[in-house]
Amino acid sequence: MLASPAFRLLSRTRPGRRGGLQAAAGRALCAAAGEEERAGQGQQQRPPLEPGLLEILVCPLSKKPLRYEESTNELINEELGIAYPIIDGIPNMIPQAARMIGKENQGKESEQT
Amino acid sequence: MSLRLRESKMAASIAAASCRALRGRCEPRWLLGWGRQLCSGGRRAAADARTSFGFQTVTEAEKGEKVNQIFENVAKKYDIMNDAMSLGIHRIWKDIFLHHMNPYPGTQLLDVAGGTGDIAFRFINYVRSQREHQVRQKLRTHQNLSWQEITKLYQEEEQKSLGDSHVVVCDINKEMLKVGKQKSQRLGYSEGLSWVLGNAEELPFQDDNFDVYTIAFGIRNVTHIDQALQEAYRVLKPGGRFLCLEFSHVNNSLLSSLYDLYSFQVIPVLGEVIAGDWKSYQYLVESIRCFLTQEEFKEMMEDVGFMKVEYRNLSSGIVAIHSGFKL
Repeated sequence: MLASPAFRLLSRTRPGRRGGLQAAAGRALCAAAGEEERAGQGQQQRPPLEPGLLEILVCPLSKKPLRYEESTNELINEELGIAYPIIDGIPNMIPQAARMIGKENQGKESEQT
Repeated sequence: MSLRLRESKMAASIAAASCRALRGRCEPRWLLGWGRQLCSGGRRAAADARTSFGFQTVTEAEKGEKVNQIFENVAKKYDIMNDAMSLGIHRIWKDIFLHHMNPYPGTQLLDVAGGTGDIAFRFINYVRSQREHQVRQKLRTHQNLSWQEITKLYQEEEQKSLGDSHVVVCDINKEMLKVGKQKSQRLGYSEGLSWVLGNAEELPFQDDNFDVYTIAFGIRNVTHIDQALQEAYRVLKPGGRFLCLEFSHVNNSLLSSLYDLYSFQVIPVLGEVIAGDWKSYQYLVESIRCFLTQEEFKEMMEDVGFMKVEYRNLSSGIVAIHSGFKL
């Protein structure tokens, strides 16, 4: 139980500059695998987003505002179906490290791509 | 499985689309000045998306990974190494940089590649002292205030010691941010300070949001400098200022040869002795040699649209401060 969040952190936060596409793909896979547990223990250990930051943060890809999802402690771009994690109170706004939100937004996503 | 595969493909195509959208106008002119021969090949190969990593030529993707790796390695020893390598002079450079910025209370600053908080903490100190000065001035002009009014003024100052100034530190490297955040807690900086993990080439901030954008000893490590400049331009408010502190090219031939000797003979050794890491510091000195000259960087800023672009050399050009406005 302890090992899996640690693994998730590792797999999701390896930063990369542009071009780490394969890495991003790999990370998306890892993220999808750990999806269920995340929902369960999102709030407990993680400090939430600083107030005020949400107003200035946008998705680095679409440059559109984001929604803060408290239960998972993520910043969500609904349109593109991407969730940016907040780790130790620091939002991780690297697209390659973001999680793709699957199921519910599938229709929208395929239009996008 | 097929769902996951689709997701990963989508991640790839979104990222690729953003690459295309943001790809800049001009290729970085890495390869001028000192070390031209060693760096050569890079420019020719730029069309195949290759770039310089110190004196090596690598693909752009590799550069990002390698730079990240380096900063992960050096994060913990970053401050000590800066002091050791520059004999503490980097502190003076950064102080001068802040003086140059001269932020007033209320300034909204974005400090990119500022992981360990050097610029952010200086900014907070500077604004605080400006604010104190303001309040003292105010008291002086109202000689016959009652004691309640004086108390009120002081309380106001305490509550808003930064006068609504705010600094956002954005760095691509998690380790550097971690070091900075720990340092801020240790030193008691909390008000008016936020940390964001983000890429200078695709900033996660609204358009027209900041009064000042700073990048100190960071732009050299960015793979697409022109894209980083465009993003800086985008997030600055009209009238906002771009300020860059970076190693540059020495204009004095005697100092230049001493500097080269020191850079190549002493710095990697210091890196090995203090941080147990020769290679990262070898990269550091090489990357400095491969970086644009003062004039080249100035031109690049102008290409992006910055106005009134100027630079000022410090220590005979060992470092330079570039400044430009979004008008």
